[in-house]
This record gives sequence, C-alpha cells and structure tokens, in this order.
Amino acid sequence: MVVLEVKDVWKAYDTLEVLKGISFEVNEGEVKVIFGPSGSGKSTLLRVINMLTPPEKGEVLLRGQSLMDPKADLSKLRSHIGFVFQNFNLFTHLKAIDNVSIGPRLVLGMTKEEAEEAAYKALEHVRMNEWSNHYPAELSGGQQQRVGIARSLAMDPDVILFDEPTSALDPELIGEVLQVMLDIAKEGTTMVVVTHEMGFARAVSTEMIFMDKGVVVERGTPQHFFTNPESERARTFLHKLEVLYGQAEREMNSQ
Amino acid sequence: MNHLIGVSDIFEDLEKIGRYLPDLVNGFMMMMGMYIFALAFGFGLGLIVAIARHYGGRISSRIATAFIEFMRGTPLVAQILAVTILPYAINIWLEAQGLPPFDVSWRVTILDVYGIQRTILNTRILLCMITLGLNSGAYQAEFFRGSLSSLAAGQTLAAQSIGMTKRQEIRHIALPQGLRRAIPSWANEAVYLPKYITVAYFVGVPELFGAAKLVATRTYEALLVYGLIAIVFLVLISAISFLLDYLYKRIRIPGL
Repeated sequence: MVVLEVKDVWKAYDTLEVLKGISFEVNEGEVKVIFGPSGSGKSTLLRVINMLTPPEKGEVLLRGQSLMDPKADLSKLRSHIGFVFQNFNLFTHLKAIDNVSIGPRLVLGMTKEEAEEAAYKALEHVRMNEWSNHYPAELSGGQQQRVGIARSLAMDPDVILFDEPTSALDPELIGEVLQVMLDIAKEGTTMVVVTHEMGFARAVSTEMIFMDKGVVVERGTPQHFFTNPESERARTFLHKLEVLYGQAEREMNSQ
Repeated sequence: MNHLIGVSDIFEDLEKIGRYLPDLVNGFMMMMGMYIFALAFGFGLGLIVAIARHYGGRISSRIATAFIEFMRGTPLVAQILAVTILPYAINIWLEAQGLPPFDVSWRVTILDVYGIQRTILNTRILLCMITLGLNSGAYQAEFFRGSLSSLAAGQTLAAQSIGMTKRQEIRHIALPQGLRRAIPSWANEAVYLPKYITVAYFVGVPELFGAAKLVATRTYEALLVYGLIAIVFLVLISAISFLLDYLYKRIRIPGL
C-alpha cells in the first residue's frame, strides 16, 4: 500500500533550481535511502515533503491526501509524518520526556498521563528511558538524536523522514543512532532516509535513490548500487565514499 | 549656617524633614503602586505587541510597529501632559455640544498609616499610570521581540514537523524560551521604570519625587531631601536587579 507519493516536485531558491522534477513512491514498511553529493537537493526534498519548504510545482500525497491542497489541515497531515533533523532540534527548555510527550499531548489530544506513557515507551524504544529527566543540553549528540527519533515515534506516524541524522555526530556516537534506526526499520517502520551511511543502506533499504543537481540520476536496490551502478556520477560518488571509509578503516587497522 | 558640617546639624535637619515623613512614605507607596501597575500592564501589552510584530500578518505587524515607534519616538512628558489634559478637552467639547461632561472629580481615598486622608486614585493618577504602562509596553515589546527573533529556526521547524499550530508553537515553544532569554535585557526596563515614574510629578501626582520637591521647598533642605531620595532609589533599583538576577538563574534551562 502506498503511504507517500511525491510527484514531479520543483523547487527553486531565487534563480537556483534545487529540485527539478522529483518523483517517487514509498510503500508501507519500505525504507528508502536517498544519497548524493552535497547541494544535490536531498535535504530540500525532505523539507518539501512535509511542506516545511513548500515546492513551486508538483504534488505530495500522504495516503492519497494532498499536502498542497489549500483546504488541507497541514498541521494534522504533518503530525502523520515524522521528521528527524540533522541538528536534532530538540526543544531546549523541555526535558527529554516532555520533548517526546508534547506532541501526543498537544497535537494528538492525549491526556497528560497517556502522553507521558507513550513518551516513556518511545524513549524505552530508543534506549533513552533512563535519561528521561535530562534536558537536551545535558545530553550527548547521539543521545539527543535518539530522543529526536523517540519524538517522532511517539506520534505513531505513517512515515518518518530522516535528514542526515548522523552527519552532525562525532564518529563514536554514530553507531548508537544507526542501531536504533536499524531496529525500527526491521520492525517495519516506513522510512525515507537521507544519509551517506552505506552500511545502513545495505542492511535495510528497499530502494536507494541517487540524486545529483536536483534530479534523480539513478535508483535501484542496494545490491544494484554496490555491485554495478549504471551512471558514471553514481559510480564516482560511491567510489569516493568507499575511498573515504576504506582509508579510515585502513588507518584504524594500521594503528 | 553650613548644613554639611557638624553631625548635630544634620540630625537637626533630618528631624525637620522627619515631620514630612508621612508625605514621603505616601509618595513612595504611590510610586510603587504606579510602578507595579505600569510594569504589569506594559508586560501584557508588550507581549501582545511583540507577538503581533514578530508573527503577525502585514497589517497587525505594521500596527504594532507604528505603536512602538510612536511611543518610543515622542517624549514621555509630552505623552503624559497630553493624556492628562484629554478628559478636560473632551469635556469642553461635550459641553459645547450641549452634552453632559464626564465626571472627573471622582477619587478613591484611604486613611494612611498616620491617620491622614490620602487620595490614592483619581482620573489624573489613572491616566498617568495607563500612559506609563503604554510607554513601557512599547519598550518591553522590543525586548521580547529581540529575544523571540533570536530563537533558533530549528525550534520552529521541529514544532511544525510534529504538527503544532502556530498558536501552539508560540505558546509552548517560543514564549517559554523567549521570555527566559529576555530577562537580562528586560531588566533594563524594570530598573528604568521607577525613575520614569517621577515624570508624573509634572502633572501633580504626589509620588515620591513630587513629595520630595514639596518637602524641599518647605524645609529648605533640598540637598538632604534629594540625597535621601537618591538613596531610596538606589536601594530600590538594586533590589529589583538582584531579584531579576535571582529569577534568571532560578529558571534558566539546565545545561545551557
């Protein structure tokens, strides 16, 4: 069943065309990985999906309902789309538990007790329940990001969008966040993930989408990309990633 | 006779002033009443104006901007003089039209601690307080707006992404963070305002400075009287600063 449909979206900042006609569908339980060089429009694409940045042209449908329809209740539709930010964006004045429960309470209309229970469960899910009474500034980046994921999970969304969730993290903190993402992916969460973590993509993605300069250059299974990518751009990009991580690995081994 | 030399002289002078202590005490109470009212009124108004200017549409933000610029751009004394004269001007006009004028002679009086009947509220005092509140509101609005616009854009994105409406975002995300952040700069307004209240003296409101002026002319002890008033202000302002500093530390976000 189709959860999310993106149809021919276009977005420009002044004269700079960032998205030039992107289309794809996400089915229930699918994990799409979007990757590509910086400036290719990946993050803009995610923001366009839940209208944090409305596109000029095209259509975004959540379970058949358009987010661009002027009559649509955008806040309500957004509450069905989780969003995990590169910079976490936790509410700085709220404890971890309140960061997670505020959505269910205000947006889903749960009572304080129900919302806190949902929040506690979500924090347990990302193994942050012991930190529920800490403020964001008292947590490490990896911990903050896990609370960010819990904040999305607690809303019980149809799909969660991840915007480079590990790019702002120190290398030793990436693992804990990826592990949580792997777990929820395996539980059947529908996800659209912008990331360069090819290990994650290989493990759980149902389809990978390679973007460059605002267009989809190539798409296919992880199998396809890691054995035999067709386009020259994808090949060079994947090669660069490989060199980067390969080098790091060699350096590790030589130490 | 030199008033600054000789301890016994100063005691004598203080005794002279002491006879007017009820006036000074009542002046102080009047000032504090006006201060608390103007600060609270200005706080509520400032919040509304800041939100209108920062989040409002074209029309509401322009109205808010115009209000702020007008209140900050004209002298407070002129505002108070104009406003306190307003009811009389209106009455002259009403009478010219053959209509019954407003009652401006009403007053609220109480017996003060010395058993003297004191007017604590009348048309003039009320208009003075409101004008001070409007004026303070314009300044407070700018402090609030400054801190609201300094909040990280990611906070808004996060609020929107979980489906909060603009109203929910303002109420539950922007204000709790913005108000905390506004305290240090807002403290400026809180310590300025008691000194601005002295302007009410120009229209004959018996607040502390008005009372001091009266005592000074009656006792010829201007230096001593104004010196005492200066000390009162210094203590008051220091106490306000200390309180706000305490509040700021008390409610600051852990880890930030």
